[in-house]
Amino acid sequence: MTAEKILTRNFERADSHTLTAYLETGGYTAWQKAQTLPPAAITEEVKQSNLRGLGGAGFPTGTKWSFIPKNHTGPVYLVINADEGEPGTFKDRYLLERDPHALIEGMLIAARAIRSATGFVYVRGEYVEPYRRFSTAVSEAYDAGYLGKGFDVVVHRGAGAYICGEETGLISSLEGKKGWPKLKPPFPAIKGAFGAPTIVNNVETICHVPHIITRGAGWFASLGTKTQGGTRMYSVSGRVRRPGVYEASVAITLRRLIDELADGVTGNGRLKAVVPGGASAAILRADEIDVTMDVDGLRNAGTMAGSAGVIVMDETVSIPEALMVVARFYAHESCGQCTPCRESTGWIYKMVRRIVEGRGRKDDLDTILDVARRGAGTTICAFYDGAVGPYISYIEKFRGEFEALIDGAGARVVATPASRAATAHA
Amino acid sequence: MSGRDRTDGATRASSRPPTDHAGLEVPAPTVAFSAEQLGEVRRLQGLYPDRRAALLPVLHLAQETFGYISLEVERYVAGLFDLTPAHVHEVVTFYTMFFRAPKGRHVVAVCHNLSCHLAGAPAIVAHLQGRLGIHVGETTADGRVTLQSVECLCACEHAPMMQVDDRYEFGLTPEKVDRILEGLR
Amino acid sequence: MPKLTINGHAVEVPPGTNLIEAARRVGVEIPHYCYHPGLSIAGQCRLCMVDIEKTPRPTIACNTLAAEGMVVATETDRVKETRKSIMEFHLINHPLDCPVCDQAGECWLQIYYMEHGLYDPRMRDEKVHKPKAVPLGPHVMLDAERCILCSRCVRFCDEVTRTGELGIFDRGDHSEIGLFPGTELANKYSGNVVDICPVGALTDRDFRFAVRVWYLDSAKSVCPGCARGCNIEVHVNRRRPHHNEGRRVARLKPRFNADVNRWWICDAGRYGFAFVDDKTRLVAPARREDGAVGDATWEEAIGAVAGALRRFAPDEIGVFASPKMANEDLWALRRVLEAPGIRRVAFRVPPREPGDADTLLIRSDKNPNSHGAALLGLDGDGAAILAAARARQVKCLWVFGHDLLAGAWPEAETDAALRALPLLIFTGTNANATSERAHWVLPAAAWVEREGTYTNFEGRVQRFRQAVEPLGQALPEWDILGRVLRALGVEVGATRAERWFRELAAAVPAFAGLTYQAIGDTGAVLSAPTAGHPRSEPASRTPLQ
Repeated sequence: MTAEKILTRNFERADSHTLTAYLETGGYTAWQKAQTLPPAAITEEVKQSNLRGLGGAGFPTGTKWSFIPKNHTGPVYLVINADEGEPGTFKDRYLLERDPHALIEGMLIAARAIRSATGFVYVRGEYVEPYRRFSTAVSEAYDAGYLGKGFDVVVHRGAGAYICGEETGLISSLEGKKGWPKLKPPFPAIKGAFGAPTIVNNVETICHVPHIITRGAGWFASLGTKTQGGTRMYSVSGRVRRPGVYEASVAITLRRLIDELADGVTGNGRLKAVVPGGASAAILRADEIDVTMDVDGLRNAGTMAGSAGVIVMDETVSIPEALMVVARFYAHESCGQCTPCRESTGWIYKMVRRIVEGRGRKDDLDTILDVARRGAGTTICAFYDGAVGPYISYIEKFRGEFEALIDGAGARVVATPASRAATAHA
Repeated sequence: MSGRDRTDGATRASSRPPTDHAGLEVPAPTVAFSAEQLGEVRRLQGLYPDRRAALLPVLHLAQETFGYISLEVERYVAGLFDLTPAHVHEVVTFYTMFFRAPKGRHVVAVCHNLSCHLAGAPAIVAHLQGRLGIHVGETTADGRVTLQSVECLCACEHAPMMQVDDRYEFGLTPEKVDRILEGLR
Repeated sequence: MPKLTINGHAVEVPPGTNLIEAARRVGVEIPHYCYHPGLSIAGQCRLCMVDIEKTPRPTIACNTLAAEGMVVATETDRVKETRKSIMEFHLINHPLDCPVCDQAGECWLQIYYMEHGLYDPRMRDEKVHKPKAVPLGPHVMLDAERCILCSRCVRFCDEVTRTGELGIFDRGDHSEIGLFPGTELANKYSGNVVDICPVGALTDRDFRFAVRVWYLDSAKSVCPGCARGCNIEVHVNRRRPHHNEGRRVARLKPRFNADVNRWWICDAGRYGFAFVDDKTRLVAPARREDGAVGDATWEEAIGAVAGALRRFAPDEIGVFASPKMANEDLWALRRVLEAPGIRRVAFRVPPREPGDADTLLIRSDKNPNSHGAALLGLDGDGAAILAAARARQVKCLWVFGHDLLAGAWPEAETDAALRALPLLIFTGTNANATSERAHWVLPAAAWVEREGTYTNFEGRVQRFRQAVEPLGQALPEWDILGRVLRALGVEVGATRAERWFRELAAAVPAFAGLTYQAIGDTGAVLSAPTAGHPRSEPASRTPLQ
């Protein structure tokens, strides 16, 4: 199940980002093959592969492509979401730095499928090195004649805003505006970037495409579960012995991921909780980790696969303090466009911080839960629903910890001794 | 002020110079790109179906050139895009990477999100504040370093980590932070 | 035309109608803040949630187009709970300073909290603080803490005036509307942002703290500021005059008219009412003899005017009608002129500076009824009348409203003409340099003090209603002219504006068929907008020059 590396197969090569290395390992042969296929056949192959979006939403990729209006005659844009920002996630950084040509080849194939002549790659502003690496690869691809013959790629830098990872926030930002998500309908496939039909796909999602074309939808589908094919890259961090990016089947269990790939829990060695899919995924208790990491497996467990950013917490971690950090993030990153999110992310952060600082009130927890539930599903984009996941799950699953803080108000017992930095307190 | 002078609109913007609330006239912009940079602006604008899409790239260029995005720079950039200064101000104030006041020669941005927090980011921030003698959000008196505490930079496998200008610095310890600071001139 | 059901009412609407508008057609009001029919859809306030059959959760009505067979419910428990929640979100960081807020009484936070909120407040943390009492420009004051970030004002400046002064800066709960630092909100329509602001964030610097809105009375009216004739409401303070230093007219607000001004009016019109309560108002008939001014009775004044009309030969009399007079006044004037057969009549006095104009609302003709005056045959050569006065051919001049010395004609020549006149009669609302020369001054009621109609530049006849009593002894011009007619021995049936209009409509083909009822609140277009000549009129009596 974890034997074969697909996306990460070249990561060990020091020159893996170069065109030479990419061609030596079979690069751009999928594109050669795809050029012999009708666009609809490519989309169909991707549909059959059960590839699902790996940026967070988990939407079936081939189905998304098929939403482009059939008789559309104007431009169609392919936009790559490289605005990696979900806390706990770092996989796309690896792909941009270590296998940029895989993304370019995937884009060529996807563009053929959706009949797009222009692709935009939106790289988060802080990713300077990944931006340079990828831009260099694009130049190589132009020089080698892969790009510029019916398909052009523009590499675009963001400027620091988590919301630009939301596909319509990304489109707004790409258009030179604030990263305010757009109202749906219309959906991007009908009216997206610059008013044209647009497909927005995550970096990792598109990097899978050449392999699906080369080895077939059946092979890809067989790597995963019934409803989701392939492998994906898990970003594992927090209190584990070997944090890092691990490629494995979408059907791997969270327990194996932590124990076998990341080599087990550090801190006091006893697992307390895990965030399985980036900060926006509901938290799981130690007894809930025997779940498969596919989209549906984690949905059934009451959380989400999200971006597969796994954050591990051992028993010494204060869950209220963790929620305070996460709530601060949502308050800081709310774009401010629609009212429930704009107003309540700040309010909830204030309440959680107050609890952590020993000034909690008896009814704070119920207020937070009620506010979060009431706001869920009322906003323009999924950002707030992402915030609601942690708000509710941290409190529901670890209510005792919060209540202890409130009851012992004033006695601040939280501290997060960090292995390597603890001495800095002195 | 060409950005305000639209001919397609129902009304024309006031042609008198803008004034602040005290009625003082605002001086004309004194910042300007070089001819070569203006060529780059036009190239960037040409990359997109709508030239406004080049606003972020041009603001990055402006920050590299002028050090930070002053109101004057916003006004100047607005003119390059035929936007109103308010529209550029909206964008500049929305994104965290645009500095609206002079920044230090180096920017040190410590990630304070969950994985880094679990790995001791607060202690790293405290250490930096102590060493630099400033709080988060401030710049050292000698203009050497601006210190920030930022949301997830997506290098959680190397927590705690920080960004120093264009570079990511991983696996921070107080000792490593000291070594990095020594390298900043 | 999609047919749908809203709260059980079947309704058929034009394609492209959203659910808020569709619901209005069946009398269902869906609460909302950011939606405005004159602006793009923002979908930010999230208040207009409704339940749509087969939709898993409430959906915003503003961004949902009516579709065939759609079944919409606006008052389900789920929708009501959602509204309550959204109201709470809107008020989390609101300062709740209604007692000192000028919007109180017409604030949609107050109204909707009472209708849809009524939750127990539970926000006890420090609220976000933002700038307060910031003057944005000559007319608009911002309180950013009260702002609910609905972006209506921003969209107005982006989409309607296309001046783009406003933005929403920063993000999250620190987002705030504002100007680019160092600029001001001074476009010609800036006051409209106050109207469309649903809360107390943007208030009117001219109006704020003048009078509480619940003491205001209102009358439907038409702006007299230019030839567009924007529909307005006149808000008057009759009940608490001491609250506003005796100023009776508190403010003008635009009144929707799809064919004239939609939702907007310009600032010049909005703030152009100060003359009504100004110290220069003429409040009693007056006579000037040997340089001394003395009050007179209406009987004396009317007698003097009628006497002059009899005394001077028709060719010795000149009349400057005003394009600011109502159709009713102008018709009454025609009747007066016809009695002795006066032919030296004009109404246009060219302004010194050409009036500003744009393609949105503002017309360069700063008079509300030039079109009406022309249709009633009053368009003559004003310069020629003055020349005749200088040549002592015209010996009696009756001026309505104008300051002849303030126009584009050489002031010295006009001055010479006025000096040469044995008799100058002035009828108007306010004193000016011409009235200062007049031997007789007959005070006229301002447009808000009376009934009447104007004909706008497109030939739309629109009614304005009385909002306050005439100041002092001032009378509507039709009344003054009716009294003069009677003094001349002419039978006058009309004793109200409406009667004058009926007479006018019966006599002037362009107005045929029009009645006050037909004009209604939004006006009626002339049947033949250029056919101004009165029916079966002897050629010698038209045109009147």
